Amino acid sequence: MTTSPPASDLGVLRRNNVSVTGDAAARPIVFAHGFGCSKEMWNVVAPQFEADHRVVLFDAVGAGSSDLSAYDPAKYDSLHGYADDLLEILDTLDLRDVVFVGHSVAAMVGVLAATHDPSRFGALVLVGPSPRYVAEEGYPGTFQQADIDGLLDALDANYLGWSATMAPLIMGNLDRPELGEKLTESFCSVDPGIARHFARVTFLSDNRRDLAGVRTPTLVLQCSEDAIAPTPVGRYVHEQIAGSRFVQLSATGHCPNLSAPDELVEEIRAFLG
Amino acid sequence: MPPDIAGDLSRPDDTDTELFEHAPCGYLTTTPDGIITRVNRTFEKWTGHRREAIVGTPFMDLLTTSGQLFHETRYAMVLRLAGEVREVALNVECADGTELPILVNAIAVLGDDGEPVSIRTAVFDATERQDYERQLLAARREAEASEARVRVLQDATSAFGAAESAASLALALAESARVALRATTAAVLLAEPDGDLALAAGEEETPALLDAGLRGLAHHAIESGEIVAITSLDQARSIVPGLDDALHERRLAALTIAPLRTSTESFGVILCFFGRDRASDPETRDMQAALARQAAQILRRIRLQGELEHRALHDQLTGLANRKLLGERLEASIATAARSGRPLSLVFLDLDGFKAINDDLGHRVGDQVLVEVAGRLRSVARGGDLPARYGGDEFVVICDDADASAGAVIAERFRSEVRRPLTSVPARYTIAASIGVVTWVPRSGDAVSADRLVRVADEAMYSSKHGGRDRVTSVTL
Repeated sequence: MTTSPPASDLGVLRRNNVSVTGDAAARPIVFAHGFGCSKEMWNVVAPQFEADHRVVLFDAVGAGSSDLSAYDPAKYDSLHGYADDLLEILDTLDLRDVVFVGHSVAAMVGVLAATHDPSRFGALVLVGPSPRYVAEEGYPGTFQQADIDGLLDALDANYLGWSATMAPLIMGNLDRPELGEKLTESFCSVDPGIARHFARVTFLSDNRRDLAGVRTPTLVLQCSEDAIAPTPVGRYVHEQIAGSRFVQLSATGHCPNLSAPDELVEEIRAFLG
Repeated sequence: MPPDIAGDLSRPDDTDTELFEHAPCGYLTTTPDGIITRVNRTFEKWTGHRREAIVGTPFMDLLTTSGQLFHETRYAMVLRLAGEVREVALNVECADGTELPILVNAIAVLGDDGEPVSIRTAVFDATERQDYERQLLAARREAEASEARVRVLQDATSAFGAAESAASLALALAESARVALRATTAAVLLAEPDGDLALAAGEEETPALLDAGLRGLAHHAIESGEIVAITSLDQARSIVPGLDDALHERRLAALTIAPLRTSTESFGVILCFFGRDRASDPETRDMQAALARQAAQILRRIRLQGELEHRALHDQLTGLANRKLLGERLEASIATAARSGRPLSLVFLDLDGFKAINDDLGHRVGDQVLVEVAGRLRSVARGGDLPARYGGDEFVVICDDADASAGAVIAERFRSEVRRPLTSVPARYTIAASIGVVTWVPRSGDAVSADRLVRVADEAMYSSKHGGRDRVTSVTL
């Protein structure tokens, strides 16, 4: 396999804007955000673990305050690139028996990391996971290719709209320096070009085969009425991961970490015992 | 205040209710979870949805599927975290099935405890803006894509142009293709003289994948001249059972194979491997085809150059090294011997009886004899020896690391090999070799010239000739 030169410790932590809080001696819990947001999406949930866990948050490359210059399109053309970053973070901080909490696509990133190198993982908590978004015969995916293309249009319309970036473009400012500043100003900031690519990678990946390789104790947390990852998909994930636990949340929508943080915390704690 | 304006303010259509219902924008209120509690007439009018039908249902349900994707992965999160969103572009599915592009501003209304109690949402018709922006974006995408294509090909051109060997070209091609196609990894396979494909650069797992089923596909790409694409593991399994597992083990899910060929010649393939399902879109194929075409032209140039160089340094008739290459190699061998202190032998052969064949049977038969002799010298020389045609019916062999006795043994092998009956002439014609061997044993500070070694070996050969032919004379310097 092609391998990149080992990033320095500081490089990894800066690249992914890693923050570590809580009890340094306690069991580590790592929260990973999904497509469209940044580590800020854990703002309500993560602090509730600080009393008895070492809490690690990070931004995927391309999101939040990550190092955008580290974005290698070939590396991040599959979720394995993100999984490798996660493993590097765990290595750099030398974390063991990690509780990994991944939301949405980050749940699959956790699955890929834990199947590639299970040694550092103690538990996987998959919040609204989906190994494949596009529908196929015999698989309960929700979307068609056209919907994904529509999402790309929506990204264009929202990130590359006239007011935001068209004016400087037409005035000849092709490298868009203002974006760097803008990214840190708003919540869940993402680089538009990267968001577009990440959307493709997220919604056009098929990682169903990887589920069977999971040997880490796993909790699947399924929201009600989740349009992105509906209950049959969550059940599918649960069935494919031997010994996993499935919990149907009363929270609705795709983001229980924001809409029902207390229920989410409660279920994670119940699973960890 | 002028009376007419005061009069306006009191007109019935300016009551708060009328202002709300017929505002020049759609307006709706939802619970913090997005369940619609109120909508105004403008929204009803624009979307065709009657309030009785949509109050009590999620706002998100009114959106197109892709709008829902955006809503759930971004809109809802930002609204929750920041308390407001501004000018978000979404598409509403109207009651009649058409789509209405809208721009949305929404703000969370907070209760005394700081928690949101409701969401106020203003909706603007963005049809015109969207059409306009779409066109601009489409034009921009196209410009960016073609700029990227040109850049990739330009970079490739300079990287390929700097390549002086097939190996360095392969390295540049694998890297260019990996970057251009956003491939997890790439590999270049070049055809060996026997037609086998050998890894020239890139992904080290490729040979194992060839054994797992890729070899047939690579040959298919070469023979058909077309790009072969496997877009998913399921497709891999349906083409070659087991190939899917071999790919998955290596964290790969899709691949493309493009042949490296010009209109007349075929050189091998460039493979790109992907870590996820990858549809084979026209842009990617065009890009890969362009890179492959460019690389094939350079490979052709390198091959021609190689042939020219080979021709310049080899005897056309026998394929042995010519005098020029002999001179270069002898200089190098002397330098090596001087450095290492190991002996070096030079064998000089002149054929006896060749002139009669040439005179009696003609030059063509003479040429055949020379080819046959050259083949025999090649076959009995040691692995590292360099047999060369010195001119006419004279041959010279450089034997590195051979002392006087080793030189004599090698020369004796040549002598008896040349004596064997020839296949290309009648049995009454026989040839033999007069051979001179010079062995140079370097001592520190000692030097010898290539000319001198050749001259001494030549003189030793003449001793053999004068001594009765078909024999070996050895000299040590």
